[in-house]
Amino acid sequence: MHDVIIIGAGHNGLVAACYLAKAGLKTLVLERREIVGGIAVTEEIHPGFRCSTVAHANGPLLPHIIKDLQLHRHGLELIEPEVQVTALDRDGRSISIYKDAARTAQELEKISAADAKSYPEFEACFSRIGRVLAPLMTMTPPAIEKPSAADLWNLGKLGLSFHGLGKKDAFRLLRWGPMAVADLAAEWFENEMLRSIVAARGIFGAFAGPWSAGTSAALLMQAALDGHAILPASLVKGGMGALTQMLAKAATEAGAEIRTNAAVVSVRVADGKATGVVLADGEEVPAWTNVSAHDPGTTLLQLLAFEELEPSFRNKIQQFRAHGTVAKLNLALSALPKFAGLDCENSVDKISGRIHIGPEIDYLERAFDAAKYGDYSPQPYMDITIPSLTDSSLAPKGAHVMSIHVQFAPYKLKNGDWHSRSQEFSDNVIEQLSEYAPNLKELIVGGQLITPLDLEETYGLRGGHIFHGEQTLDQMFAFRPVIGWAQYRTPIKGLYLCGSGTHPGGGITGGPGANASREILKDLKKR
Amino acid sequence: AYLAQAGKRVLVLERRHVLGGAAVTEEVFPGFKFSVCSYVVSLLRPEIIRELDLPRHGLEILPLDGTFTPMPNGDYLWRVNDHAKTRREIARHSRLDAEAYDEYGKAMVEMAHFVKPIMSMTPPDPTSLNPKGLMDLLFLGRRFQRLPAEDKYNQVQLMTMSAVDFLDQWFETDVLKATMSASGIIGTFLGVRSPGTAYVLLHHYMGEIDGAFRSWGLSRGGTGAISDAIGDAAREAGAEIRTEAPIAKIILKNGQAKGVVLTNGDEIYADVVSSSVDPRLTFMKMVGEEHLPEDFADDLKRYKYRGSSGKVNLALDGLPNFKALPGPGRHLRGAVSISPSVDYMERAYDEAKYGRFSRRPYIDIVIPSLTDPSVAPPGKHVMSCFVQYAPYNLKEGTWDEKREEFGDTVIETIAEHAPNIKDLILHRQVVTPLDLERDFGLSEGNIFQGELTLEQLFFLRPAPGWAQYRTPIRNLYMCGSATHPGGGIMGASGRNGAMAILKDHN
Repeated sequence: MHDVIIIGAGHNGLVAACYLAKAGLKTLVLERREIVGGIAVTEEIHPGFRCSTVAHANGPLLPHIIKDLQLHRHGLELIEPEVQVTALDRDGRSISIYKDAARTAQELEKISAADAKSYPEFEACFSRIGRVLAPLMTMTPPAIEKPSAADLWNLGKLGLSFHGLGKKDAFRLLRWGPMAVADLAAEWFENEMLRSIVAARGIFGAFAGPWSAGTSAALLMQAALDGHAILPASLVKGGMGALTQMLAKAATEAGAEIRTNAAVVSVRVADGKATGVVLADGEEVPAWTNVSAHDPGTTLLQLLAFEELEPSFRNKIQQFRAHGTVAKLNLALSALPKFAGLDCENSVDKISGRIHIGPEIDYLERAFDAAKYGDYSPQPYMDITIPSLTDSSLAPKGAHVMSIHVQFAPYKLKNGDWHSRSQEFSDNVIEQLSEYAPNLKELIVGGQLITPLDLEETYGLRGGHIFHGEQTLDQMFAFRPVIGWAQYRTPIKGLYLCGSGTHPGGGITGGPGANASREILKDLKKR
Repeated sequence: AYLAQAGKRVLVLERRHVLGGAAVTEEVFPGFKFSVCSYVVSLLRPEIIRELDLPRHGLEILPLDGTFTPMPNGDYLWRVNDHAKTRREIARHSRLDAEAYDEYGKAMVEMAHFVKPIMSMTPPDPTSLNPKGLMDLLFLGRRFQRLPAEDKYNQVQLMTMSAVDFLDQWFETDVLKATMSASGIIGTFLGVRSPGTAYVLLHHYMGEIDGAFRSWGLSRGGTGAISDAIGDAAREAGAEIRTEAPIAKIILKNGQAKGVVLTNGDEIYADVVSSSVDPRLTFMKMVGEEHLPEDFADDLKRYKYRGSSGKVNLALDGLPNFKALPGPGRHLRGAVSISPSVDYMERAYDEAKYGRFSRRPYIDIVIPSLTDPSVAPPGKHVMSCFVQYAPYNLKEGTWDEKREEFGDTVIETIAEHAPNIKDLILHRQVVTPLDLERDFGLSEGNIFQGELTLEQLFFLRPAPGWAQYRTPIRNLYMCGSATHPGGGIMGASGRNGAMAILKDHN
């Protein structure tokens, strides 16, 4: 009999597996697909072309996890291009954000002296605030109901470092939290395209536009994870799949067993305690502790029998907003496309990071408007990477793979469904992108579209949300997934959550997996 | 009034010829008395009514019963104060919602009770370690702690969610959600799907008359009567009130407020100057940026006004006839809400986001002359239409050019539900955001003297660190809607402000 079963070999499941196995527990990881990785996978999209099919950039995986699991020894290679983001508009104008703030400021001089002046302070301010929030990410949210001594201690420490910020930053933090990211961007910068780059981070993956209140909180969360104000580009050699492969290696090395093609269809419960899982083929696998890396909906509404949960809790999980808004289009290209305004031969570095399509705040907001009424954006916000530029292993010589995060693509369409409309959708994306890269069409040799529905059916994300659920103020920290149940435990003894549906939420950070395993070990020690 | 009652020598200076600011009654057209801007009462703090003995000074609140929402398909939703009736009416649309409506009502009242004391409290400074502030924060934490689990859950959602997301959890009937969510956006530049609007739902839910939650009313003689009653109370307590006395500057001597200069040059000196106009006028115009700490000035510049609503006041020859429920009837005695669907409301907002007024706006209609005949000649009526969205900043044209077009849009919209409206109109007054700024001194025409969004509430209103009615200028105080707890005919800001002054000067 296993000590621990982990349902789902996504990055969080694997991180949890590593920690639990290292603690000497007999750990079994069950993955329904033929490969591990969840949405951090590298798959062949066309003969000879490999691509990070869903998530295309490192979250980043939290540094302490990389260290604990010695991922560098397992061959982890992070690629962080000098140019982190380049934003384009239709008239061939562009802005590039460099790793080095001073260099960025220099670049900004060309468009606005004022913005060039504000930029370094902008970066600095967010890394300051990020540093203060960082401990939040690795801590277990306090139990609002009855905070334990440890909870209070953590909060106390937090309170102090909050004061450490000084009045100005402290108030910024309080004021920004609930604010619309468009306002935040406008407070710092005058250039519209620069504002849109900043705003993009607040709406990435969310059912929100730059004018939606609370989008600044998403930005602050991310800043807390990587200390950057602007969505950074940290790619993984071999694609995101390489990262999860290493996690799998680390887990097996620590003694965990990983089974693929082993879909869990239900969690067994005997008098309020989880006793194991049942696989699609009917096989029953018993375990003392069961940990789900799935989203809260899948775990608690699908894998559990209806009667196992009391209605009001079940109801709250049903209310957890987890309808995806992102589609992914991955293209195999015979050559590097030419972007209007960039001479790509000599400025390949400019497009080695992220390419931001969404030149104005209003452009991003209009993209969102469509989603509100149940349609995809005619002019979507796009976050693009061409990983083959910095990693030749992904495509044949001279050829390239292009990974396009397309927003908004609401899970629920008012007219038709994703099966019937996916062709028209990808045609439109390519049409739109051609406005920035005119020769794109003739270079396409193959491709793959992943709609929110595919995210649900193929990757097992209920509702197709890449973050397992909206990351709004009411679904963050001590309220993720629901208030009172933010400590990775569930009302069912011996059943835990360790996925992005728990704090600190989505993105390839491993945070939820690591935090959850800590809580699980705490409980096991008690026994 | 409070300061005079405390024995201070008080002089009130008003720019216009009438008292009341946005709470005025004016006879714009002979025989027709319009509550030009603000038109319903409900948030006025009961303790103020009590302490100032306003009824004795002529304040009389007449109940305003129910909300009638006509629908394009000829149906309607009519909620009244009579609970059983409302329940039956909602059941007509959805049994489930009728059930939920009770639960919802209970929950909201709970929430309102939780928030109420916060209304009359002076916001603490969360960044300072002074014991009083920490105690207050602790007090808030404790209160939250003590809430039952369900209420905690609701409270959190209420503070952060959008009105529609919040209501979606309770109800299924679109028109019900639409008309309820409307109170979440009144006076803000947000849509019913914008996070944070759920809180404003509650803000309006706190409407209470004589302690009875969730009842709205009209004051006899129009909203101006409230101002007059308070004015009376002030005079009786010994305050002097001077109208048509616009202030040009606030006199400063070595960083202290010493008095004011009127536009006619008169200089009036006082130990304390308290401003109830918004921060932009108070500090940028009357004090002058050069006298302000840089950070404070920056914060004031960031403070968002963004007026989003206008007003159309009509003098009518008779009563409008609604297709959904023809003929005169009790439904006209309450509010008539043009908010047929959630998408309708959201679309109205979308247009405003890009700088034009809504082609089909949300309209909140009241016909006060039905409840209070004194405001119109016999047989005639006045109709007050609150209209949203009317963004202060238009992408094309100016409000002076667009005024009539805007008025027509409103009439057209109403005519879709009550076609006979066009033939009834004797006079029409269109109040644009620009008018609110010019005539009523509300910057950018925001009826709350600044948006009621989370980042501008409580200890952040109007500026971080200056939410305690005091200002960086000694002896200069704030007591307007731009201070906690914000807009609406509530009086709390004025009362809290007065208390702050008395604390410092006794």
